[in-house]
Amino acid sequence: MAAAKKLMSVRRDWRERDVRVVLVALMIAVATVATIALFANQLQRTLVSSASSFLAADRQLDAENGKPVPPGWIEEARNRGLQTGQMIKFSTMVFGESGFQLVSVKAVSDEYPLRGDIEIQPNQDSSRTIVDAGPRPGEIWINPRLLRLLELQIGDTLEVGNLKLTVSNLLIREPDGGFRLSSLAPRVMMHVDDVAATGVVQEGSRVGFVYLFAGDDRLLEDYYQWLEPQLEPSHEWEGVRDGETFSRSLERAERFLLLGGSLAVLLAAVAVAVASRQYALSQRDTVALLKTLGLTGGGIGRLYLRRLALWGVVGIAGGLAVALPLFWMLVRMLSDVLERPIDFYLDPSALTPALLTALISLFAFAYPPIRRLQNVPAMRVLRAQPGESGREVVPDLLIAVIAVFGLVWLYAGELTLVVSLLGGLVLLLTVLALIGWLMVSLLRRVRGGGNAWRLALVGLYRHRQASMAQMAVFAMTLMLAATLVLVRSALLEDWQAQLPEDTPNHFLINIAPNDVDAVESFWAERGVPLDTVYPMVRGRLTELNGQPVKEAVSKDERINALNRELNLTWMEQLPEDNRIQEGQWFAKGDTRGVSVEAELAGKLGLKLGDKLTFTIGSEKVTEPVGSIRSVQWDSMKPNFYMAFPPDGGLTNMPATWITSFHLDESSKLLLNEFSRQYPTVSVLEIDHIIERIQDIVQQVTQAIEAILALILAAALVVMAAVVSATLRDRQREGALLRTLGGQQLLLVRSTMLEFALLGFFAGVLGVLAAETAVYALQARAFEGEFRWHWQVVLSVPLISALLLALFGRWQLRPVLSVSPMLLLRRLE
Amino acid sequence: MNQMTDLTKNNQRPMLRVSGLTHTVSLETDTLTILQGVNLEIKRGESVAIVGRSGSGKTTLLGLLAGLDTPSQGTVELDGAEISRLSEDERAKLRARRVGFVFQSFQLLPALSALENVMLPLELAGIEAPHQRARDLLERVGLGERLNHTPRQLSGGEQQRVAIARAFASEPSILFADEPTGNLDNRTGQSVSDLLMDLNREQGATLVMVTHDERLAARCNRTFHIEAGVLSEPDAAREFAD
Repeated sequence: MAAAKKLMSVRRDWRERDVRVVLVALMIAVATVATIALFANQLQRTLVSSASSFLAADRQLDAENGKPVPPGWIEEARNRGLQTGQMIKFSTMVFGESGFQLVSVKAVSDEYPLRGDIEIQPNQDSSRTIVDAGPRPGEIWINPRLLRLLELQIGDTLEVGNLKLTVSNLLIREPDGGFRLSSLAPRVMMHVDDVAATGVVQEGSRVGFVYLFAGDDRLLEDYYQWLEPQLEPSHEWEGVRDGETFSRSLERAERFLLLGGSLAVLLAAVAVAVASRQYALSQRDTVALLKTLGLTGGGIGRLYLRRLALWGVVGIAGGLAVALPLFWMLVRMLSDVLERPIDFYLDPSALTPALLTALISLFAFAYPPIRRLQNVPAMRVLRAQPGESGREVVPDLLIAVIAVFGLVWLYAGELTLVVSLLGGLVLLLTVLALIGWLMVSLLRRVRGGGNAWRLALVGLYRHRQASMAQMAVFAMTLMLAATLVLVRSALLEDWQAQLPEDTPNHFLINIAPNDVDAVESFWAERGVPLDTVYPMVRGRLTELNGQPVKEAVSKDERINALNRELNLTWMEQLPEDNRIQEGQWFAKGDTRGVSVEAELAGKLGLKLGDKLTFTIGSEKVTEPVGSIRSVQWDSMKPNFYMAFPPDGGLTNMPATWITSFHLDESSKLLLNEFSRQYPTVSVLEIDHIIERIQDIVQQVTQAIEAILALILAAALVVMAAVVSATLRDRQREGALLRTLGGQQLLLVRSTMLEFALLGFFAGVLGVLAAETAVYALQARAFEGEFRWHWQVVLSVPLISALLLALFGRWQLRPVLSVSPMLLLRRLE
Repeated sequence: MNQMTDLTKNNQRPMLRVSGLTHTVSLETDTLTILQGVNLEIKRGESVAIVGRSGSGKTTLLGLLAGLDTPSQGTVELDGAEISRLSEDERAKLRARRVGFVFQSFQLLPALSALENVMLPLELAGIEAPHQRARDLLERVGLGERLNHTPRQLSGGEQQRVAIARAFASEPSILFADEPTGNLDNRTGQSVSDLLMDLNREQGATLVMVTHDERLAARCNRTFHIEAGVLSEPDAAREFAD
């Protein structure tokens, strides 16, 4: 079947414009979805591993009771294929040549860190280096501030309890920098095997045993299932996603990537649908002839099905050939941004959505119009037959809508996304149908003439079916692209607002009441303003309405806040970023009541008026819940679960004061001066943590930009595909017009105008639909506040009008450069 | 032996028998009658021209005779098979085996070479060695040197020769031609119609041709006129006299 085979060969197909469009659309679909899926996958791993490195592992088990966990637990984890590591944390005095200092010790095992890395400096003048293991036995790494406080040199010895250790490196950054108020003193890091010899850690001393775990998510989850029943209240199992600071950013980044992916799927589907419909139309003559030559309807169906399968193979192969290098480039880019190497992580299962997209695009969007080719009457060889009736298209549309719904759902896995997107699309199509009807009835009145405007309007009317189809596709494409741009801006703004340049990056803790004024003026004199200084009282929540709190709260709820002492405070004014959700903030002069953080209140099931009893030292304080307020945990300012009014329940309780402030890297030396002057005040340096968070935000931002660029490129190609679908007709008309004496300028003007109008209408519709979708998305998925984006609303229609006008001009090239005679013959 | 009896039977049967053929098309407001009460019998090996003005219904009639479409009323019997009783697919199979076509606008597949265009019906009918037969036919129509040219590289007359070669490729027992010279100038039309008539004679096929070219019509055994959907055979008497 040489000729028939050739008729069905991809090489021959490639020579046909519409097939080229289908194949390119398919390749773009596969490439976009595959790149996004691969990259999202990689990004997620990089993000999670970045965030994991805040724990120096994927999970941590904290034993806060000062006792090691049973060795069997760790053995079990190893048997299950998990990596494990250990840390012992305690505070102690260390002795150097010229004095002693309270330090916070972290003793680590060989495996530490399981995730992330450690930044050290071999001596004060050398550059910083990154290592992936802690000190060896016999060595100790110390915070540079300690070096100055104890006037030490690298190579000196430092006594920890009974053991002398050699200071071998300065500890600049540890992956699990910690953000706990307990890590007050300068950090030193030593090997866990040396701890016993120090004699510092004894039965009953305040020691934290921390166990690190890393490995496959599923293994970790299984292990936790096994471990959970054996955990005691003093054991805390921590995962990346439990950290309040990063989880929100991660979640939103994930959602955005999914949204981007879904939009890519939609664009791909649109491109394939448009191109294959165009292709099917162009095949009608061939099919009629083949029927005349004796090919049965079934035979034709099989012929085209085989062809579709072939396209699928070529599209997938071509798409992957584009996606893989692109993915490689993106990862390289990411690696550059992060200034660290990233391991390529090519997960074959991440390609599934791409393959599914290709298959579904082919069979839900490309197949229906091609299937209908079977019904082309053979009589068509003798005489053009009436076109397809609208009724035949309805089942196709239904299949397409179901397929889109299924694809997006499959890909985004979230009903809200699917419903808002498709809701926007349905709205768009409804409005389009209305506009179409209006356009047809208005344009019918325009009669042809020599003026460019009239020619343009007549053109729109004459191609009204194509015009409507193009407008629908443009509007949809614009809607998808605009949605993404809008959501992206909202997301980035939100992140930037979250961590502005002057985010507090240091805490002062443990300020004695009579030092508060002096400390404030110390920093004020040096040009460093402090944030509000809050009193802090340590206390435990013990009773709820007179009942022991652990009994009052359902046992299923593991509430960390109940397992440890809480930081209680009193304040007169509600902090700026807190919001009252229920009740009233303390009025002036109020002394009763306590204001509770909303999430904790929710977990405890608190209502206004519930009586909370706190044990502070040996005293008990009982106050009713006066208000419930939300707190910005990621604001890097002191935040409190419980706030009392001034002169309220906390009066006469032993309080120390706490505050935060922003200190530039260049002013870090002030800390030494401060520490010497106020040795009892603890400084908590979190500038490295903030830098890490900003790193992550930058990383996610880059990814989002890259994916956005990809999708916009895909959108452009979809538009180009749609415009060129009617290329031949328009060229023929252009040639005819020129043959009939139309001036080139008139032709150029009317064509550009026609396309500009098309682009403008599509832009208006697209941007309105996008705003609708963004409204729904922001309300549900991104928890942001919606506002109109006037700049976008105004600029998109203009940009799209301009773009399409240029497209139109570009299409005209052959019509203008070649003699009409030649063109007409070529188009014959 | 069986084949022999078949052939004998076949020879007795008319190639095409049409009785009471009426074709109407529903429009928005009323129905349009395109053909009305057409009766016709064409013997094996005969050549027949159907002549009429544009819009007289001749192309519709040709489509119905060839089984490309089914009539509103009446029957068309093609080589013993009543085509209005056949399904679309059965009609397609019938066409593949017995029917050849030549069109006014040639209807060559632009992507295929001349050779491939001629091979196509051979392949569809499952005939062996299509390559050799297609090459022979193209040589017979004088295009032996242009086997690998695509339709776009051929003139109108050459394209119609390829179409004629294609029409005869599967050795059809009946050939339908729709204005075969309609798109060609006089001289080219003349040579193309010579070729068509010669090949038809050589292959002993029945020829049904729609044309408004009176000279071409005159070269056929019989000529029918069609006007407003009604078919008549003015020269029937003369033919009988011959």
